[in-house]
Amino acid sequence: MSDAKTLIEIRGLKKSFGSIDVLKGINDTIKQGEKVVIVGPSGSGKSTLLRCMNLMERPTEGEIIFDGTDITKLSEKELNHVRTRLGMVFQHFNLFPHLTIRKNITLAPVKLKLMTQEQADAKAEELLKRVGLPDKADEYPAMLSGGQKQRIAIARSLAMEPEVMLFDEPTSALDPEMVGEVLELMKQLAGGGMTMAVVTHEMGFAREVASRVMFMSDGMITEQNTPEEFFAHPKSQRLQDFLSKVL
Amino acid sequence: MSFSESFRQNFLEADRWKYLANGLLTTLEITVFAVLLGMVLGFLVAIVRCTYIKTGKLRPLDIICRIYLTVIRGTPVVVQLLIIYFVIFASVPISKTFVAVIAFGINSGAYVAEIVRGGIMAVDNGQFEAGRSLGLSYRRTMMFIILPQALRTVLPALANECIVLLKETSVAGYIAIADLTKGGDIIRSQTFSPFLPLISVAVIYLVIVMFLTYLVGKLERRLAVNVRR
Repeated sequence: MSDAKTLIEIRGLKKSFGSIDVLKGINDTIKQGEKVVIVGPSGSGKSTLLRCMNLMERPTEGEIIFDGTDITKLSEKELNHVRTRLGMVFQHFNLFPHLTIRKNITLAPVKLKLMTQEQADAKAEELLKRVGLPDKADEYPAMLSGGQKQRIAIARSLAMEPEVMLFDEPTSALDPEMVGEVLELMKQLAGGGMTMAVVTHEMGFAREVASRVMFMSDGMITEQNTPEEFFAHPKSQRLQDFLSKVL
Repeated sequence: MSFSESFRQNFLEADRWKYLANGLLTTLEITVFAVLLGMVLGFLVAIVRCTYIKTGKLRPLDIICRIYLTVIRGTPVVVQLLIIYFVIFASVPISKTFVAVIAFGINSGAYVAEIVRGGIMAVDNGQFEAGRSLGLSYRRTMMFIILPQALRTVLPALANECIVLLKETSVAGYIAIADLTKGGDIIRSQTFSPFLPLISVAVIYLVIVMFLTYLVGKLERRLAVNVRR
């Protein structure tokens, strides 16, 4: 793992909303193929950290270096291109309700001229098979269950053939019986070698899939470790308290 | 005077019904072109304002748009019509109907702008983020993801704005345009019997408005399919 290529490097990242400091100096490196699971109490800055990685949030200070380029210094146009390489999955799916599932998946690659409509349609079909929803292409998001929506959202991201997938609490808005199908798909993706950063409360997923678990509190990375060590021997008091509440 | 007598005098004698027929055509002409102008203006203003609100860009344009909205919505449409005809186009030989289209279009644009802006702002911000996260630019996200959704929600309100505009053009007579209202009034002044010509004018407006309302209702029902998340 140590000689894998560095994909994302975060240096001195700070983010404030008004007078509230959400991130207070984050440094970290994500290597190709790594699966980093970020956990921590709400308000600790996990989602903000994730959203800084593709500049959905503009850092107040610091650098985000993606594949050798500091993306905080890029023009809007260059940034759009970088974002095609970083997939993002949201808590509330954010499927486009006015488009069919097929169009949801093919819109971006076609409009960005990465594929023709025919190529994109073929890609969509393949992805729908992969996420286990091959017969939903012509339906609208409103007809799907939460778990199905999130699987489509993942397929939509994958259509861009990203190098990294960012998951922002992908199962938090789901009914309990639908969490499993989404996690299963994420495990498949991880098994395929995808580089992933996942903010989640699913400790089972962290234990099973993560190559590294990161604990955030008060805008800092308080502790991180392999999942075995992380759950078996938490060092800081904050993490011990946290784990005692969630496990 | 009997009804048939009155009817003959007001409409048939001297072909007076033509005042209403030609007036109606003028009213429809002004309405259609003013609606088109208003929609174009309104969409542009709404997009400028939303872009400023969401991204902080286009500040100077946003200020101009806000002045436009304040002035147009803060003054009566008749006054705007008079100013555009007698002040702005005072020394330009130009058709009055054209002036009316400009005046009502500019007026309607302000209301359309606020309707559309409301529609855009009502689209969940997550839609915006989803578009941007896929690498779509602000402009493309707006065009392919936000506007189509906003349009669905505001279509009934926009259609309503057309109905309002149709009725507002009735003040076109202030610059001596022979529109429907003026046509009825001309008949009244010739025959000195106000009842039939004015009631006819009212009924004609009412029938058009009811027809348009019926179409809006149909449109709303069609849009209700598939859109709920």
